[in-house]
Amino acid sequence: MALTEVNRPLELPVSPLANRRGLRAGQRRTGILLLLPAIAVFAVVILYPFLKALGLSLFRYTIEMTAPEFIGLGNFRTIATSGEVWNAFLVTAIYVLFTTVGTLVLGLGWALILNQPFRGRAVLRSFSLLPWVLPSTVSAFIWGWIFNARFGVLNAILLELGLIDYPQAWLSTPQGAMLAVVLTKIWLSIPLFMAFFLAGLQNLDREQVDAARIDGAGNWAVLRDHVLPHLRPVLIVVVVIGVIGNLQQFDTIFALTGGGPVRATTVLSIEVYKQAFEQWDIGFASAIGVLWVATLIAPAFFYLRMLVKGA
Amino acid sequence: MRTMKRMAGALGLAAAMATGPNIAHAADVSFMSFTYAEQAGKPSVEKMVEGFKDQTKLTVEPIGYAWGDMQKNLFLRARSRTLPDVAQLSERWLPSVASLPGLVDLNTVYGKDKLEAIFAPDALAIGRLGDKQLALPLISGSIGMIANKAVLEKGGIADLPTTVEDFRKDLVAVRDKVPNSVPYTMATKNNGSILIDFMLWNWVFGGQLIDGQGKAVVDSDASRQALAFMVGLVKDRLAAPEIDRPDARRLMAQGASAFFFDAPQARTFLRNFSGEGEAFDKNVAPIKTPVLHQGDQSTSIQWGHLLVQFASGASAKPDAPADQFLTYLTSDAVQTQFPVEQSALPVTKSARQAVSNDPYLAAWAQATGRARANEVGIWSNAAELTTIVGEEVQGALLGQKSADEAIASMQKRLATSMASARK
Repeated sequence: MALTEVNRPLELPVSPLANRRGLRAGQRRTGILLLLPAIAVFAVVILYPFLKALGLSLFRYTIEMTAPEFIGLGNFRTIATSGEVWNAFLVTAIYVLFTTVGTLVLGLGWALILNQPFRGRAVLRSFSLLPWVLPSTVSAFIWGWIFNARFGVLNAILLELGLIDYPQAWLSTPQGAMLAVVLTKIWLSIPLFMAFFLAGLQNLDREQVDAARIDGAGNWAVLRDHVLPHLRPVLIVVVVIGVIGNLQQFDTIFALTGGGPVRATTVLSIEVYKQAFEQWDIGFASAIGVLWVATLIAPAFFYLRMLVKGA
Repeated sequence: MRTMKRMAGALGLAAAMATGPNIAHAADVSFMSFTYAEQAGKPSVEKMVEGFKDQTKLTVEPIGYAWGDMQKNLFLRARSRTLPDVAQLSERWLPSVASLPGLVDLNTVYGKDKLEAIFAPDALAIGRLGDKQLALPLISGSIGMIANKAVLEKGGIADLPTTVEDFRKDLVAVRDKVPNSVPYTMATKNNGSILIDFMLWNWVFGGQLIDGQGKAVVDSDASRQALAFMVGLVKDRLAAPEIDRPDARRLMAQGASAFFFDAPQARTFLRNFSGEGEAFDKNVAPIKTPVLHQGDQSTSIQWGHLLVQFASGASAKPDAPADQFLTYLTSDAVQTQFPVEQSALPVTKSARQAVSNDPYLAAWAQATGRARANEVGIWSNAAELTTIVGEEVQGALLGQKSADEAIASMQKRLATSMASARK
């Protein structure tokens, strides 16, 4: 048998009416049609408001003005010299760092505990989801009550133990207010992180861990050399999702401190709200919003790239 | 075809909305009110609306917005051409609302002489801007000091303080003799509330924030002393952090505070929060704001609720439904009832005469002293000015900066903001 004959493609019986290009085009058309509803919703709910905000960032548009006035990059020039806005960037960075790291460590720790076999584990796993189920503003008010200067649980306990002489105004110090908003967000996010880690731990090779223990590895060594490397892909996803979520955080901070005291917890989302709905400067708020979105692009791109690669 | 007709109908309706008159019409009169959004005030507004309907057979649609959202929603409604016929304002919002289209000069509707004959001069003045009467007063009063007599008694204080020095001594007595109390529930949270307390103490010490020409003038010894005084109160636990006006009202109603600044409406809140109703009135004493030196004139801040009218072309006639409603709201039938329910002074001469036997309102009028206009509220950039003053004062009160540093920073920020401000 000649080589060329062997390599000749197998010819299947095909209808004389079949048209490969036509089939592909048909598939493409169907695909586009199926995508249309999602594209339409995306365009109306996300794209249009974003483009509108992008456009408004180039205008001076206070609520008293009936029509916006084009000022080019004027709002961005004001931001460049605005101590308040740069402070919001710094506060955001601090908030995102502490909430992400805190949730990561505690979420992982809690997942490791709940991965151990013990009586009542299923019940505890269910209860662990409670902060996730509660509306975030409700959680914020619960924490606000805990830290309240006059009626707070924390002050009551410390006074009872004799550790303080009179009630402390925790939310009135920059550090106390930041600690409160960070703790609240960590408390809210632990269930999500824990669920990710717990799912990852289900695939951990137990034999490998057992072998390491027989070789004399302690808990820390097992965690460092086996568990964490195994969870690496989950860790990356969780960190990226955490950073994006924390960069967008608004409701708990607003309900708990309103961005105060002074500006101690004014993250970018709060700053945009204040500029738009307290100072009524829509153009300036849009400009800050555009920069805020810019900070989100890097982690979002990283996350999407991972998803596509994973797929 | 039917779909096409529907689409054409919708487009026609949209076009009519876009090009039609810029006033919303759901009933004979639309009335935007923040009192209607308050649990305690809603029944009073409903009573007024019903009373108007009984008298004129005209219907009113009340539209409630929270006090803090009212001004913003007026501007947003102006953009969407859905302004109400009549709106309730806080007196400090009038300068910024004056720029809205369709705002009626009520002198052109009722006549200046007639208005002057009906309304008390001080009340009518708060609705005037330049030579135009852009609003009619609904209720009036001032923001001044209120004392809790029961707490003072527990503190062993027999005489009400008249000077700053006496006031401080009384606060120390309350702190030492009334456990878990905040002797003076000074506003230390919420920029809007902090502004009021600072403005009053600044006046007491002889300072000023912004002069009549719009120049920031807070960088003065008087203002530094005023802020240092406030900082000292927090440091000595005579005032406390995390206090806003609602907190102050609750603490006062619970017998955990001796003094705070508020509008006369405070009595209504205190009745409600104490759970005692009118029985709590015996504890509430409006007092003159303490002065720096014996013989100085006591000060308070002008306060009141106004009514504005929006109409096509900014013109209206007295027999228009909205104007009949305004006439009704300022009639004796309403003025001898609504302001009293709100624990505030009526605005017409005859109604003031009729309620002069209310001991609380009489005491309030006695304690008012010199009522001055809100220095900040009259400017177009009032929101930014409020933030600046609030942040700087709070920064000093919480020990983040010294009083001198806060005043210096406040001066700089106010001056920058006032560069583009207008009345």
